[in-house]
Amino acid sequence: MSAPSAVESAAPAVVEIRGLTKIFRDFWRRPKVRAVDGLDLEVRPGEIFGLLGPNGSGKTTTLKIMLGLLFPSGGEVRVFGRPPHDIATKRRIGYLPEESALYGYLTPRETLDFYGRLFALPAAPRRERAGQLLRMVGLAHAAERPVGEFSKGMSRRIGLAQALINDPELVVLDEPTAGLDPIGCRQIKDLMLALARRGKTIVLSSHLLADVEDVCDRIVILYNGRIRAQGGVTDLLEKKDLTRITVPAVPAETLRAVIGMLRESTGRAPEVEHPTMDLEHFFLQVVEEAHRSSQAPSGVGRADGTARYLDGREAGRGN
Amino acid sequence: MLRIRQVLVLAGLTALEALRQPICLLLTGTCVLLTALAPMLVMHVFGEEGKLARDSGLAFHFVFGMFVAGHAACACVAREIRCGTTATVLSKPVGRTLFFASKFAGVAAVVLAFSACATLATLLSERVAEKLHTGPEGWGYVTDWRAGWLLAAAPFAAAAAAGAINWALRRPFESTAFLLLLCAVPAAFFICGFFDRLGRPAPLDFRVDWRILPAAALIAMALLVLAAAAMAVATRLPTVPTLTVVAGLFLAGLVSDHFLGRRAAASPAALFLYRLIPNWQNFWLCDALTGGGAIAWSYVAQAGLYAAACVTAFLGLGALSFAHVEMK
Repeated sequence: MSAPSAVESAAPAVVEIRGLTKIFRDFWRRPKVRAVDGLDLEVRPGEIFGLLGPNGSGKTTTLKIMLGLLFPSGGEVRVFGRPPHDIATKRRIGYLPEESALYGYLTPRETLDFYGRLFALPAAPRRERAGQLLRMVGLAHAAERPVGEFSKGMSRRIGLAQALINDPELVVLDEPTAGLDPIGCRQIKDLMLALARRGKTIVLSSHLLADVEDVCDRIVILYNGRIRAQGGVTDLLEKKDLTRITVPAVPAETLRAVIGMLRESTGRAPEVEHPTMDLEHFFLQVVEEAHRSSQAPSGVGRADGTARYLDGREAGRGN
Repeated sequence: MLRIRQVLVLAGLTALEALRQPICLLLTGTCVLLTALAPMLVMHVFGEEGKLARDSGLAFHFVFGMFVAGHAACACVAREIRCGTTATVLSKPVGRTLFFASKFAGVAAVVLAFSACATLATLLSERVAEKLHTGPEGWGYVTDWRAGWLLAAAPFAAAAAAGAINWALRRPFESTAFLLLLCAVPAAFFICGFFDRLGRPAPLDFRVDWRILPAAALIAMALLVLAAAAMAVATRLPTVPTLTVVAGLFLAGLVSDHFLGRRAAASPAALFLYRLIPNWQNFWLCDALTGGGAIAWSYVAQAGLYAAACVTAFLGLGALSFAHVEMK
């Protein structure tokens, strides 16, 4: 997670939403669905902010209103202090949609070049960034294949790459890990953390709670378009009435003595277990070994680390 | 400056996407092939072979062009809104009006490329048709088979070359074949210029009926108006309903002289509708070429102004509609 100092800074909010309401209407303009209902939230500079909720809770609708793709029925939305449809503001935003919508006849390189051109990036840095991004998402070997032939996971990776071509200050990710294998999920989470370390602001929506828990500083939980819970992830999840101690394996005698002391102190016996590696780490280990011994892949190849310009290792950033 | 670049980028992508769809190549190739074959396969036309070839070529130009324009317009608006690419582009620093105008520029480029191809094919087709030939060797009715087969071979040559390029360089087949077709038809046209109608080498002289040019230009204008109308409708309707509405508009425009024009003087409502619906008769002037007649370029210029007004009106309506479309 990003540094708390960034989260708690008094700088103006990157995204401010006040009383946001969105009602979808039918062909005859009659109200059909109230997707968002009186939403208030603020996203602060440098934080990773998570929108959680079950399907249909209003997450994507909220993100699309923030980007000026949908129009609010009521309330106010400001991004970098400007209305969401402001063109200049969009130079500072990167967006990964829920479904990676790509031009199927273009290759990944052409796709990234196209989006880079929309930001008027000069040719040399555009090509350089496209190359770095393709290596970052593990698709350098498929750079000349039409993206229409790609699997969902591969399309997702190109979608992510296009969202970062302008080195955005605010990254909006709608279900970023949907359709990705565990390696892709881990890479995206690492990428988000790397971006947050550089002071970027990230807003993501997800219903995969483990992903959100791993990276988010603050979350809101939506249900039927309303906020049901919000706050820092640690604050919301911490069980203040329990303490966990992890130590290297100890002899049985020592363990019995410690349990006795703890029982005496708390009045009840502590739970003792051998911790297990989580499945994600185990899977990543196995695949890493397989990568070392395999030939060129047909799908996603081995990905490099975060693109240099996103990691702040390159001078002359910006768009 | 940024906006101009964005227009060029978006228009270029729109054209490229349209060209990479097999339907565009199929329609253009078929149009050229049918135009080439028309004068070679017809019989018993009582001395009007040239007129038949000319009218057939222009009709193929119009009909196939309508499909090219309608399909490209729907694909770049309705389909893109539905599949979400529009939302991704609009999340970048691109205004909605600029996006919509750029899309039309891309579609217009494809339509004009198609029209150029179809026009050259029609010019050559008219040359192929059997006509009275007189010379030092005597006189007779002659069909220019060499020009006909050269034109008919152009789509196949383009496809074969594109296949080879696809195999060797992995370039996309459809767009490569379309671009090669755009080169093959002028090449056939140029090569034929070095042969007379009997197939003998001769100094460069194209021996075509240049009066066809203004008629073809008028058809190209009509196609641009249809493309603009399709784009405006596609902002709100999916592809099939859009094509249905545009087909209705086309039919209404064809019969507006008959049903509305005659009543326009007496009925304000008829006059209003008559002015509102684009009159396609203004763009179909093949009969003016019959009997040695010609279409004045001043008329083409006036029709161009009319077409520009129609395109502006449709694009204005489309942009207004698109500004309020929600990218769900």
